[in-house]
Amino acid sequence: MKLILSDKPLNISIENKEIKYIDLSSLKITNCVGCFGCWTKTPGKCVIRDDATKVYPYIAKSDTLLYVSHVKYGCYDTIMKTMLERAIPIQQAFIRIHNGETHHIQRDVAPKKATIIAYGSLSKEEKVIFKELVSRNSHNMNFESYNIIFTSEENLQKTVQNEVAKWKY
Amino acid sequence: MEVLILNASPRAPKSNSKKYASIFSKYCKVKTSYHNISKTNHLEICSYFENYSDVLLVFPLYADAIPVTLLNFFKTLEKNPPENKPTVSVLINCGFIEHYQNDVAIKMVKLFCKENSFKFGSVLKIGSGEAILETPFKILAVNKIKKLSKSITNKKYAEFKVTMPLTKNMFVKASTSYWISLGNKNSITKEQMETMKIEDK
Ligand SMILES: Cc1cc2nc3c(=O)[nH]c(=O)nc-3n(C[C@H](O)[C@H](O)[C@H](O)COP(=O)(O)O)c2cc1C
Repeated sequence: MKLILSDKPLNISIENKEIKYIDLSSLKITNCVGCFGCWTKTPGKCVIRDDATKVYPYIAKSDTLLYVSHVKYGCYDTIMKTMLERAIPIQQAFIRIHNGETHHIQRDVAPKKATIIAYGSLSKEEKVIFKELVSRNSHNMNFESYNIIFTSEENLQKTVQNEVAKWKY
Repeated sequence: MEVLILNASPRAPKSNSKKYASIFSKYCKVKTSYHNISKTNHLEICSYFENYSDVLLVFPLYADAIPVTLLNFFKTLEKNPPENKPTVSVLINCGFIEHYQNDVAIKMVKLFCKENSFKFGSVLKIGSGEAILETPFKILAVNKIKKLSKSITNKKYAEFKVTMPLTKNMFVKASTSYWISLGNKNSITKEQMETMKIEDK
């Protein structure tokens, strides 16, 4: 399964049933409150029953994913970052050694080829920080490989279309 | 001189950050005042910046970065810049044993400071921060927090780090028992916690 997760509406037509497109800005997703209920009370399920609970199962299932996010201070901006924080039910509380570091055990999470389209007017320094962030994410989010594409907000639509066109159905 | 301590944990009232902050206050030689950053008090907290020479941000690592709570506060602070710009220091903790997993989040705070003309001060990065205060290694964390506070009050800003002095394998074992006991408090077994199902599927 392929997933496109965007922090703003994209004008793309997707006929392929293999591809799930989610516009996070149209959903109601509040921030994680760090209760760890998804690990110790209702394992695999967030106790906050808003739209995030419909999104993280797709994050888990996808083997190819495209994240589209504005960047602020070298971080995913609020909409995407809020969703990524809410995705911890797809991991277990338990820790393993992975790539020589301690990380959580994943539940039924497919290994991923990830593409991250980071948009906005980023300085050189901000790009370096964002790259480091995605490199750290790759250990925690089961990325097998990843590719980061920086683009301006104006060129976003075209950049997304180019990337999706590369996906072989 | 006074230090404004801001807790940017999304669970501030019940957070490890709160415990770290209270240790900081206990050993800090100058007066400190403490506030949680909530969703609704950003402007109030921005106004406090006028009265302090130093701010200490205390927060957890969330998804390899600063938590949304801090990100959103920074965005408000950027739009409502105080005339007085205190020096910003950081006390960050993360769950994993490697304290360096906090480094990217610290760079984000430094970038915020640079873009908004705040001076960056000291930093203490804590690994195994979810549990270290409940172990005999608490003293190691306390010692580093003392050093952090001294560096801020003396304006000799520096970087400190601490984690449990365990091998990674020992840490994995200890953390497994820790999480099992938290599950047990909710009558959830280890096997239930190990489910591979997500949303029951
Ligand atoms: C949504 C979420 C994401 C987290 N991400 C990370 C992470 O990427 N790396 C890490 O080491 N710990 C991570 N943690 C663990 C916290 O940093 C750790 O539990 C910390 O002690 C919480 O501090 P607090 O009680 O002050 O909020 C995460 C916790 C939550 C709830």
